[in-house]
Amino acid sequence: MASLLFYILGFIMLTATLLCITRRNPVHAVIYLVVGFFALALMFYLLGAPLVAAWEVIVYAGAIMVLFLFIIMMLGLAPQELPEGPNWHRWGPLVLLSSSLMACTLLLIFQDPAATEIIGTYYLAPQELGEALFGRYALAVEVVSFQLLFASIGAYMLGRSLPKEDDES
Amino acid sequence: MSVNDLLALTPILILVLGGTALLMVCAWYRAPRPLLAGGVTVALMAALAAGLVPPPATEISGLFSATSYARFFTILWSLLAAAGIMISARYVIDWRLGAGEYVSLVLYAAAGMALLSSATHLLGLFLALETFTLAFYILIACNRRCEFAAEAGLKYLLTGAVATGFMAFGIALIYASSGSLHLPEALTSLTTATGALQAWGFLGWGMFLVAIGFKISLAPFHLWTADVYQGAPAPVSGLLATGSKGAVVAALVGVIAVAGPVWHDLQDLLWFMAVITMLAGAFGAFTQQNLKRLLAYSSVVHMGTLLVGLICQSAEGNVATVFYLVAYVITSFGAFAVIASLADERGEPMHFDQWRGLGYRHPIRCAVLSLFLLSLAGLPATAGFMAKLVIFQAALHSGFTGLVLVGIFASLISFAFYLRVILVLYQSQNETSSWHPGSAMEHAVLTVCASAVLLLGLFPGILLDLISLILT
Repeated sequence: MASLLFYILGFIMLTATLLCITRRNPVHAVIYLVVGFFALALMFYLLGAPLVAAWEVIVYAGAIMVLFLFIIMMLGLAPQELPEGPNWHRWGPLVLLSSSLMACTLLLIFQDPAATEIIGTYYLAPQELGEALFGRYALAVEVVSFQLLFASIGAYMLGRSLPKEDDES
Repeated sequence: MSVNDLLALTPILILVLGGTALLMVCAWYRAPRPLLAGGVTVALMAALAAGLVPPPATEISGLFSATSYARFFTILWSLLAAAGIMISARYVIDWRLGAGEYVSLVLYAAAGMALLSSATHLLGLFLALETFTLAFYILIACNRRCEFAAEAGLKYLLTGAVATGFMAFGIALIYASSGSLHLPEALTSLTTATGALQAWGFLGWGMFLVAIGFKISLAPFHLWTADVYQGAPAPVSGLLATGSKGAVVAALVGVIAVAGPVWHDLQDLLWFMAVITMLAGAFGAFTQQNLKRLLAYSSVVHMGTLLVGLICQSAEGNVATVFYLVAYVITSFGAFAVIASLADERGEPMHFDQWRGLGYRHPIRCAVLSLFLLSLAGLPATAGFMAKLVIFQAALHSGFTGLVLVGIFASLISFAFYLRVILVLYQSQNETSSWHPGSAMEHAVLTVCASAVLLLGLFPGILLDLISLILT
């Protein structure tokens, strides 16, 4: 059962990301990417890491994709004219992918909690994850946090307006 | 993390926290000169700390090592960062790049390089690699008045992102196969894994090497090099050609020392890669009319030669690789420093037309540049000659005669294109314009690099003994 779900999710994820990189319309691409992230989140859940699954949805599908959409809107990359008619070939694949994703999610929600054949025996508790991150891998977390600090400095350095030629510091 | 870990990390902490402190200072106090001086001081302090503070533990958090090998490279990259800041000073002041941000990024990149050279864990290796790559994305594009810089930054970002993808996927597959990210175990258990698991592990190991190939521009992954070096400011190109590639090679020496048969299995493939890298670099450099692009292709040739040393997988090969690396870092950085010292408000002299006859206008610096170019080519009595000698000797002892012949052939072609630059420098041309006379700091860096090139060429034994000491 678990391996069947894995293959379904893998198919959804690969199709969604393939569609994502082939779309001309950036908004459509972002929506397919969100579907891919949801499939990935369910896969983490199947692997026994519900916290990572939640992060995948909250951070990637939620925050980062909203940021993407925001930038697409700010730069005016979204096409302005609306297509006419129902356009099944445009949103048909999306409906298909997201409804099968929904079916997988419902199956996981309503399954018997005592049954272990869907979810493996390994379960990563949030506490265990926190201890690994901030105990054993604390140095790695520090390195990443400095990386984020310098990424924001880079964004500032490359994004600020050029100083005028006459204000000598 | 214990107190011992923090003590062992002292040089890295000095670099990173010093950089952050300068960043905070620059929020209120933006005079560039004190900030630059502060950056040089921090880098030198880190080098001193790496040399003088004995590490209480040999491994930090299971991610990085604090052995004398790691310390050696920490000192080298810290000194390189100090020299990099010194030759960037005029760029930062004249082009108003933002002294605090620039200096802290260079220091942060040096910290990343030092961490990478000491990685003992695939996660630590990945993070350290990303650390300085990120700093370089920004440093390359930092001159916003130059459109080539933005193009170079974008090209480096895209190839870097592809390489990162390969590396992350590769590490994941290695982990799936061996169940460990810690370096000796992760690679040694690849050979004991069975069936499909072993195949996936080898695929991951291959992808890991592809990412490494992108980073140190081995053919066929070298195409970004010339464009990026041309667009970036010369001091950044200098750091990129030496520090970022050198740190990856230093990490690779550590990896293959523990890789065992996994590296040995790839020997044929690597043999082929070394050959095409040396030839692609040598023939690519031949047609260049721009000194920065020529130095980029020259770095490709040198990376191919370094790969020859790595393929040997012997103690002698490793010593030769590290020696070659140090000689290459000093020489190549010196050549970029000459370009940086000549730059003025018109930009940098790049095209050969701008260099024509400069040997009479700026005799000392052009003589020094010729020395660096001859050392890169491998003229006897320079560091480059000794480096090539030890690396080819090691390859011969390991039985790679064909590889040595190709290497010598590539060196002969290299001589031709380096000599072409020197001929251009000393062509008589009356209407050449003068460039910047150079600041005292730039002259100091050039003096140090030039004397190091001669010292290593005449007395290589000192460094060779030191390297074989730290590698055992």
